[in-house]
Amino acid sequence: MSAIIEALHIRKLFGDLEVLRDMSVTVEEGEVVCLIGPSGSGKSTFLRCLNRLENIQGGTIKVLGEDISAIKEVNRFRANIGMVFQHFNLFPNYSVLGNMTLAPVTLKKYRRQEAVKKAEELLLQVGLSDKRDVYPVTLSGGQKQRVAIARALEMNPKIMLFDEPTSALDPEMVGEVLDVMRKLAQQGMTMVVVTHEMGFARDVADRVIFMDNGYIVEEGTPRELFEHPRTERCQAFLSSVQ
Amino acid sequence: MLDYFSDCWKYLPSLLGGLKLTLIIAVVGIALAIVLGILLCAFSISGIFVLEKIAGIYITVVRGIPLMILALFMYFGVIKNSLDLLPSAIIILAINASAYMAEIFRAGIQAIDFGQTEAARSLGLSYFQAMYKIILPQAFKIMIPSLMNQFISSLKDTAILSAISVNELTMTAKVIIARNYNAFELYSYAAIIYLIVIALLTYLSKRVERKLSYDKR
Repeated sequence: MSAIIEALHIRKLFGDLEVLRDMSVTVEEGEVVCLIGPSGSGKSTFLRCLNRLENIQGGTIKVLGEDISAIKEVNRFRANIGMVFQHFNLFPNYSVLGNMTLAPVTLKKYRRQEAVKKAEELLLQVGLSDKRDVYPVTLSGGQKQRVAIARALEMNPKIMLFDEPTSALDPEMVGEVLDVMRKLAQQGMTMVVVTHEMGFARDVADRVIFMDNGYIVEEGTPRELFEHPRTERCQAFLSSVQ
Repeated sequence: MLDYFSDCWKYLPSLLGGLKLTLIIAVVGIALAIVLGILLCAFSISGIFVLEKIAGIYITVVRGIPLMILALFMYFGVIKNSLDLLPSAIIILAINASAYMAEIFRAGIQAIDFGQTEAARSLGLSYFQAMYKIILPQAFKIMIPSLMNQFISSLKDTAILSAISVNELTMTAKVIIARNYNAFELYSYAAIIYLIVIALLTYLSKRVERKLSYDKR
């Protein structure tokens, strides 16, 4: 096992507001790390720094061995990292298949036929083979998010980032999305997940990080963190969500 | 009354000649305005301070001046005798409409959720690939009604260009009235011709809009 993400002493400012202060996180290959904590604690911002959707003001982030601040071809770099958003962000002007094949075909990663074949395999995996040709507007929230996951996987990423993937879903659809993510974790994907689903974090994560106010307050295995939280803030948070 | 309108066919050829010029000015003028509007819109979303300011000032100034003043100022004050009437009229209309076009484009692009850009960029697409494949097709669909409105508006604005005596539909009617004083009937004909053309355009835009909609599939 080797570190696939190595973030050291990250600082991130929005204007004068310091949202990340001295964050250090290392993620090993194949590891599933869940970030939990109250809203506004900087979890999502940290995630977005990892693929440079946000730029950092201090510290260094190494992903797949490269210092990402120094990367010139940011598009080539991003293609290796899948990202799943809270609000799905499917492209409404493309069919499900179009959503999935657009990036790999445009970036000439695969030829069209190969991209379609891979998309069909992935749709089978997420249980949406019959939705291949429909437009996103006809899908339910859970289906949209499963397509979004498949779309990210189509690029064959080495890392998957999930930004509150179930927060915008109706309760009865949360399960189907978490099942897909669970399967992905079992296949050995490196995953960083910002989530409010404590059950998922407990079952699937190798490590859980509790953040508050731009800091890492506590970090450990799910067992350590959920059953024996050491800090008061973490205890208070866990008792308020459970 | 019927007698009064009975010789309408007599004027039709000259009025249609005027309509031809009206349409040429509107179509070419709007086409130029679209090109100029895209450029201005690119300026105003460029994130580059100087370009944003240039676009901002241009848009404020042009939208703040009545077309009549713009036409008189440009034709008698700036262009003078260096250009023929028709190209002058086209340029004046294009300047006027471009400011509105720029705002329509900007509003359309900014109406698209930023998450679309982020999703595209996170997949490895470049800014321009994301614009071209994802943002602009969606924005364009939103813009169609406004673009059609602007086209109709500009088409009607060409009547104001009779102030510089370009021989479009309104000017043609004026010239005939100067000869025979039949203001009631000739302005009625002109109005009906405008109305028919604009009704056709409105119908067409509704059809285009429906055809481009992907929400109903």
